[in-house]
Amino acid sequence: MIAFREKLLPAALPLAVLSWLALLVCMLLRAHQPAAAQWGTPPDWLILATQAAFAAGVFVYERSRPDRLRGAEFVPLLRQLLLGPGLLATAVVGLHLAGHWLLPETIGNQPILLNTLYTINLGLFVYFLARTCYTWRSLVHFRAQPSTRREWEWFELLLGATLLFRLVQGRELHWPLLPVMAVLAGLGVYLSAHQQWVAYLNRRQKWEVVFLQAAILGGMAVCLVYFLRLQREPSLAGPLAQHAFLLLTGFFAAFYAVMGLLVTLFNLPTAGVFEQKREEILSMQRLAQLIQKGQSEQEVYNLLFDSSVQTVEADAAWLDLADDNPTPLLEYQVDADTRQGICQLLSDYNIGHIEYLNNDLPHSAGFRALGLGYCSLIVMPLRSSKHHYGTLYLLKRFRQGFDRENLSLLQIFTSQTVLSIENLRLLEDSLQNERVKEELKIASLVQEGLIPKTLPADSWFEIRWHSLPAREVGGDFYDFLQLSSSRIAIIIGDVSGKGTTAAFHVAQMKGIFHSLMLLDRPEKGQPLQPSKFMAMANQALSHCLERSSFITASFYIIDYKERGFAFARAGHCHTLYYNAITEETFYFQTEGLGLGIIRDASYEKRIKNMYYDYNPGDVMVMYTDGIVEARNAEDEEYGEARLRQLLARSHYLEAEDIKQAIINDLEQFSRGLPPFDDQTLLIIKFKNAQPMA
Amino acid sequence: MKIVQNAANDTLTLGLDGELDASSSVLLDNELTKPEILNYRKVMIDCQRLNYISSAGLGVFISHLQRFQDAGVKLVFFNMQEKVHNVFEILGLDSLMTIVPSEQEATAI
Repeated sequence: MIAFREKLLPAALPLAVLSWLALLVCMLLRAHQPAAAQWGTPPDWLILATQAAFAAGVFVYERSRPDRLRGAEFVPLLRQLLLGPGLLATAVVGLHLAGHWLLPETIGNQPILLNTLYTINLGLFVYFLARTCYTWRSLVHFRAQPSTRREWEWFELLLGATLLFRLVQGRELHWPLLPVMAVLAGLGVYLSAHQQWVAYLNRRQKWEVVFLQAAILGGMAVCLVYFLRLQREPSLAGPLAQHAFLLLTGFFAAFYAVMGLLVTLFNLPTAGVFEQKREEILSMQRLAQLIQKGQSEQEVYNLLFDSSVQTVEADAAWLDLADDNPTPLLEYQVDADTRQGICQLLSDYNIGHIEYLNNDLPHSAGFRALGLGYCSLIVMPLRSSKHHYGTLYLLKRFRQGFDRENLSLLQIFTSQTVLSIENLRLLEDSLQNERVKEELKIASLVQEGLIPKTLPADSWFEIRWHSLPAREVGGDFYDFLQLSSSRIAIIIGDVSGKGTTAAFHVAQMKGIFHSLMLLDRPEKGQPLQPSKFMAMANQALSHCLERSSFITASFYIIDYKERGFAFARAGHCHTLYYNAITEETFYFQTEGLGLGIIRDASYEKRIKNMYYDYNPGDVMVMYTDGIVEARNAEDEEYGEARLRQLLARSHYLEAEDIKQAIINDLEQFSRGLPPFDDQTLLIIKFKNAQPMA
Repeated sequence: MKIVQNAANDTLTLGLDGELDASSSVLLDNELTKPEILNYRKVMIDCQRLNYISSAGLGVFISHLQRFQDAGVKLVFFNMQEKVHNVFEILGLDSLMTIVPSEQEATAI
């Protein structure tokens, strides 16, 4: 059935054209007596049939055309209708009508001209009607339920059936058909109620639509007058066109236009509201987009302020940030007195930073006393769960200026803004964090640069070290300095505390070490005594170390020629030693106070020098408390005893292997627990060999 | 870390309970910084329950040592666990501060 209909559709236009030509021929034959005598007079039924075929062809053709409505472009749709068939039909019909009135003799006496024009006008009018009906169909179908579409199809079907009325009846309408026509007219009225499309027009478009509809109605009126006028024309050769069908379609087309016109007119006053809602939606979209773009805070505040003022149509407004700055971040048509007065009053009422809506300011004594030119006020704080960012104030001149919708919209705006500001700050924080991390990395690199990289290479001793800071930068330090070919100075120490502060003192200590080494002049019989070094270091530190900080250090000067070393301990961990002759492992028990604990000359008395002669094969282990105070999961300390036992077992190894043995044992002990404190380890193994030239 | 205070006549006894590390040493520093503490003749530190002392904890005592000496306030430690005593000893503080084994000896000073 559908396939059959599909095949018939292309035939609609040729049918319309051919039947119109046939109608024209029939009319001319009847108007021209000699021709009729020669060719025969066409009967009434033939003319009526061609008329019906023509109307059916035009309507079916229009019906099969694709929907002319693009999206929600209603104005162009109506304009097309008016400027196309509407204007054409009205102009031609109007001209004929005008000619009829102005020169009744000329046109009335020429039946051929009259009948030709009548046939042309009829064609144009039917086409205009068909276009109008199917334009209305587009509007009725706009966002319509399927049930409405079915109703429309029934309406079409019944209208089509009325085409047959004129064929079966005589010159006048049959009374039994009237109820049917009444029902159809009712259906047309019912369908005319579908005017949802009007709601999608803005104010300007509504005005345009009003004028377009009025013009279309005007065109129809001209046509109506024309056909009423021709009804009484004696020269008209054929019977009049399809009464019922044209009447009903004309009625529907006009009624829908009138309804549309009225609905649009009644909607005109509320068009502003529609525009406002549209503006609100656009503002919200803009706000949401800005959040994603991650602009500056100032821009976000600007957008909030502009959107708020625009959408609630405030007469005055300002935005205060939650700092002590007396001038607002943004303001709109408001003077300082008004601002300060309102803020003072609100804080007096103790409602300075809460959401507040007053639509009748003169009603409350406090505001009346201010003598403001405004009657409505909204106070909208910008706050998250933790932070108060600022407050937005909006004023209107008349009472009841703000409604609940304004308030909820502003709530959405402000919460969007707060979200956006918090996002920006989070971003800023994470950048800052990145920067700090980067700087710490640099500090760590700088500190690593302070640690000696080159081994004091000599064949009479071996030295190995290991250092592991607990954080990026540490408080442990060690350094070497070759004083002469046979003497070397070594320092190891630990600054109290950890991290960056400790790292600064480490750098200081390194400076002090290298400066004081200049005082070592053995060639003049003035070798530097370790206790003297400590005393001078203590004095230097007393000026630059905060009161609660101190430094522990052990300082050694090893002399190959003498085969011995001198050292002093300033509160640092005891040095572990293995004597290859006695095969004993022990800690040097010397006294010595940490640096920076007492800061006067009496310090020197608390530091002892110690001298020791070494033998080839002796091992010296220097370390910081991070080694012996390393803890395991059971909260036990590694301890001096365990370290001593380990050396007793591993003293025969090379320095590198002893170091590795200690590190392995430490790891085994702490079982993967990260170091709690910086760990530093120095191993020296004395050798028998001669120093290199 | 808990600090138990006990004032009797001209003596203030502070009982330290727990670990004296970087964070808890702030508490102790607050106590020792109070000006009225200099009105006592003697401040006794009970270290019986002190399990651990970090360099920050030592720093607190070191930073108040001079102030106490200048004001003529004696600072006495007693009941110190061996582990903690070892830390004082390594740093050389045992020669600088008064550390006695028992409360009786501390009171007698």
